[in-house]
Amino acid sequence: MSALALQDCDVYYGKAQALHHVSIDVAAGEVVSLIGRNGAGKSTLLKAAIGLNAVHSGRRLMGDRDTTALKPYELGRLGLAFVPENRRIFPNLTVEENLKIATVMGRKGPWSLERIYQLFPRLLERATQGGDTLSGGEQQMLAVGRGLLTNPEVLLLDEPTEGLAPLIVEQLIEAIRTINAEGVAIVLVEQNLKVPLKLARRQFVIDNGRVVWSGTSAELQADRARIESLISV
Amino acid sequence: MSTIVIGLSLSFLLFLLAAGLTLIFGMLGVINFAHGALYMLGAYVCYQIVHWTGSFWIGLAFAPIVVAALGAAMEVTTLRPVYSRDHIYQLLLTFGFILVIEESVRLIWGLDYKQVPTPALFSQPIAMLGSQIPSYRLFIIGFGALVSALLFLLLDRSRLGMVIRAASSDSEMAQTLGINVSRVRTAVFALGSGLAALGGVVAAPLVPIELGMGFSVIIDCFVVVIIGGLGNIKGAILAALLLGMARAAGFTYAPEWVELITFVLLIVTLMTRPSGLFSRKGRSA
Repeated sequence: MSALALQDCDVYYGKAQALHHVSIDVAAGEVVSLIGRNGAGKSTLLKAAIGLNAVHSGRRLMGDRDTTALKPYELGRLGLAFVPENRRIFPNLTVEENLKIATVMGRKGPWSLERIYQLFPRLLERATQGGDTLSGGEQQMLAVGRGLLTNPEVLLLDEPTEGLAPLIVEQLIEAIRTINAEGVAIVLVEQNLKVPLKLARRQFVIDNGRVVWSGTSAELQADRARIESLISV
Repeated sequence: MSTIVIGLSLSFLLFLLAAGLTLIFGMLGVINFAHGALYMLGAYVCYQIVHWTGSFWIGLAFAPIVVAALGAAMEVTTLRPVYSRDHIYQLLLTFGFILVIEESVRLIWGLDYKQVPTPALFSQPIAMLGSQIPSYRLFIIGFGALVSALLFLLLDRSRLGMVIRAASSDSEMAQTLGINVSRVRTAVFALGSGLAALGGVVAAPLVPIELGMGFSVIIDCFVVVIIGGLGNIKGAILAALLLGMARAAGFTYAPEWVELITFVLLIVTLMTRPSGLFSRKGRSA
């Protein structure tokens, strides 16, 4: 059974259809990635998953529960966590408050403030600073830590490595492995194959608002030239 | 000395009102035109409670709660359905609140002036540094400072304050963290309404209670909110102090220039630092 599945989803921006009959799924504890070029519809899909974009037709399932009609805060309480593009750190909260805000709803689980600081010691050094004073890499750590503190079943990561220095990217990949090893399923959105092939077992390639290819990482390697042409600019 | 006391008491009165207005704007993105009407309603409800019980203190405790509850009901039933629409609808709606509140007050209490006597505890003037100071003014300063301190504690240190700040800056993100932002909006509208009513209650022994009382004060209140920076509550307290003291000094030394002082402050702010005199960003345009 899937921890999260979108089945045959249509999503609209105003009158323009952004996603066409999209189906993706992630099993409990699994890592999948959504790959595609800029504007392909990856972020739209992730926002539909967390309920920030309305699913016009189709279904969202979490376990055996149909959650299509639920609001974002209800989905958050049921175990979806969203780490958005551009991180969306609360600038008027301190680093520690940015983490604590995720615990307000009180979902139980293994993640605590101490464990986030263990995972990202840099955040502890910056705990009392304003959220708007962090570097890009620190912001990304904070956004991931904030998502984790909701104790999610599924973590939705939108381009976590975008714009970060190679060393920071390596650290982040390690952290994502650690998080996944704790049993958190991850949906990773990326524009290229590098990070997905390191982390994910299955891949979905998105183009023009459609899933145009899906398969395991091994299958992707076998078909790599064609996949790269689908996601290259 | 009496200029300072009057200035400070005016400042805190303005801050109670401006704090509510700026909180509501920060959280809901709505400029609440009816804020002055809620202030007036607070004074009338206090009058009624004093009329029934004879105690100003009961009025002080309960009138803001009554108005806050009304504010919550207004937000849930009328504002909530129109957030997704253009701003103009929310403005029109809060303007509509004014008409409804004023008509209701006229039906219930009529057109004649009402009065709330100064509570006995603070009815005698106190001699300070050679001048006679109305002790009720001192009460306003102390009480205003206390409420302001509690408000800052609430916003800066409490869980609810953290939620309000987060939801004000990015409501979508806050929602994904399991926060029911609709409820936060209602709570903030209720809090803001309660603060407006509290201002009305505190002002009640000083001024005649009448339908137009909200109108004059709300203009100063808007000026404070703009000088402090829309949605910036720390700016609002500094702006309230600035405007309150400036007006008190004006009354003492140049009474005919008082209104001018208010608007010169406003115009200078808008020309030099349109995002607020006390905003960190400075000139935004």
